[in-house]
Amino acid sequence: MKQIKIIFLMALFLQISCKKENDYVYQLQDVNVKQTGSDKNNSKSTIEFISIAYSDLFSVSISQSDLVKFNTVYTAFGDKKLIEDRIIRNLLNMPGVLIPTGIGSDTTSFINNSYKKFYNREPNAFESYYLKQQIRLNTIINPIVIYYSLMTSDEYRYY
Amino acid sequence: MNRRRFLRNASMAAVGAFASPYILPSGRLFAASGARKVNHVVFLLYAGGVRNTESIHMNDGNLMPNLLSGNAAISSDIAGAMDILPASPISQPLQNFGTLFKEFRYNQGPTGHYNGHTVAVTGQYVDVDLNLREHPRKPTIFEYYRKHNSPQQTALNSWWVANTLGPYPALNYSSDPDYGPAFGANFISPTSLINPDGFDVLGNPRNFTSAEQGAIYNIRDFVNHSFNKTFLDGSAGVTNAETEAGRLQKFITDSYTNAQAGLYANPWGAGPSMNNDMFNVFYAEQIIKEFKPELLVVNMQDVDIGHFNFTSYANNLRKADFAAAHLWSLIQSTPGMANDTVLIIAPEHGRNANPNTTVDAYGRRALDHTAPSDAITGDQKAREIFCMVVGPPSVVKQGYVINTIAGESTDIVPVIANILGFDTAIPGTSGIKPYQSCDLQQAFI
Repeated sequence: MKQIKIIFLMALFLQISCKKENDYVYQLQDVNVKQTGSDKNNSKSTIEFISIAYSDLFSVSISQSDLVKFNTVYTAFGDKKLIEDRIIRNLLNMPGVLIPTGIGSDTTSFINNSYKKFYNREPNAFESYYLKQQIRLNTIINPIVIYYSLMTSDEYRYY
Repeated sequence: MNRRRFLRNASMAAVGAFASPYILPSGRLFAASGARKVNHVVFLLYAGGVRNTESIHMNDGNLMPNLLSGNAAISSDIAGAMDILPASPISQPLQNFGTLFKEFRYNQGPTGHYNGHTVAVTGQYVDVDLNLREHPRKPTIFEYYRKHNSPQQTALNSWWVANTLGPYPALNYSSDPDYGPAFGANFISPTSLINPDGFDVLGNPRNFTSAEQGAIYNIRDFVNHSFNKTFLDGSAGVTNAETEAGRLQKFITDSYTNAQAGLYANPWGAGPSMNNDMFNVFYAEQIIKEFKPELLVVNMQDVDIGHFNFTSYANNLRKADFAAAHLWSLIQSTPGMANDTVLIIAPEHGRNANPNTTVDAYGRRALDHTAPSDAITGDQKAREIFCMVVGPPSVVKQGYVINTIAGESTDIVPVIANILGFDTAIPGTSGIKPYQSCDLQQAFI
């Protein structure tokens, strides 16, 4: 009788202590958390930077003679950040540059197209929200301001 | 607290109180111990390969009358080929304002232009052929200056002004992991920048209103924070802070404006005689006027035409001589630099004793610079150069000439460091000569 009691108590303890874990499914998509553009590890060379910037703004390839001209000037000054800034501002002022006259009513589309043009990717939700807010709140922001900001950013230096 | 602990704590506090004011941004405990001789140094590389035979020894007459005393007439067979130059901008030859080392030496390594320039700015011989696409492996004088001078200065105070591109843009900083672009000099090759092509690329930039600029800062700041790298991680070179960058942008804009207004067409009244060396020194003068740098290195190389044309080599020696005098004249008329500047002039290397087979229109044979690297055998004439140190009479011995073999190319970096008072702050492991071992110190009072 005593043995039966012990077996009963052990079975009871096992029943209480071992409980199967429930596997909850919340029906949400898995999200990989990583910084946008983090897979861009290569810094553009001088030639790449100039030719990509030119084709981004004129939708045609830069001519060989112009590329030599740009490259010579680029090499002739030591502060590359400064000289790139100046090259971009000069390109933005050149005749034939293709910049929308206004952002238009479809702000989302403008932001998406700008990111694809300069960063070769879609903006994430936060980036899109932030820029939409900036454009909504600050009437001074026009396509040139957006283009210049993106083209002189760190991400534009990488691919 | 027991007595022993009290005494220990009290003494540590006393040491801390005395030491803390001397912990400097550079990380050093004390300020540079050496007092400055002057506050500005200009190093003019009279480069391109200058043979002592034509310069110091005046084998074809005094081709450098602005630097050297002497009235020896230019050899009659080439005299007619010499371009007309304006009158001397200085009252007497530069050697009277300083010390001339007639038998200076480039003692080791290949006698190539880039090697010679690298030795001149690093203070260390390079015994191998250099990769022309790389920065020097040893720190440059610019990096020593910006890292060890106290207080530390921005890149606006140190400049490397090159008369051409090729490998020379790489000389403003080294690949040494303890130095590098954070301590480098501003680099400019003005004749490659301030010209019609340069104007096409940089001359008409879009300017933004302050309101637009504010929006740009916000957006760029946002996108930069969303990205995990900066341009500086790549190859941004020497980076100037925003205020300094604004001054540089204005300098570039003003240069184009002046060039378009014709002010740079014939700035010295030399007309068609104005060569690339002279223009390079002219632009270095504009940098002096605008920024009054503490350390400026500028070069000339047009004499290298000596590979093909001896007479043009002699002609360009004269033009470089005129440019050197003009530079000193400008320094001495610039408030803040006058009487507070030491000018050092030296070629990077010489040229061979034996000519090559190219003969010019005047029957003169051309000269290469190919001294064997063992520095012993064969034609070693290309290692023989001169050096001149010019400065205020209270600092530099005036009219002093050293005729014997004294001084070498690697003296120049430690001497510049000593002049600006930071030589003792450079680590002993750097490999550069101690100032006390440099014959060039004989130039100073």
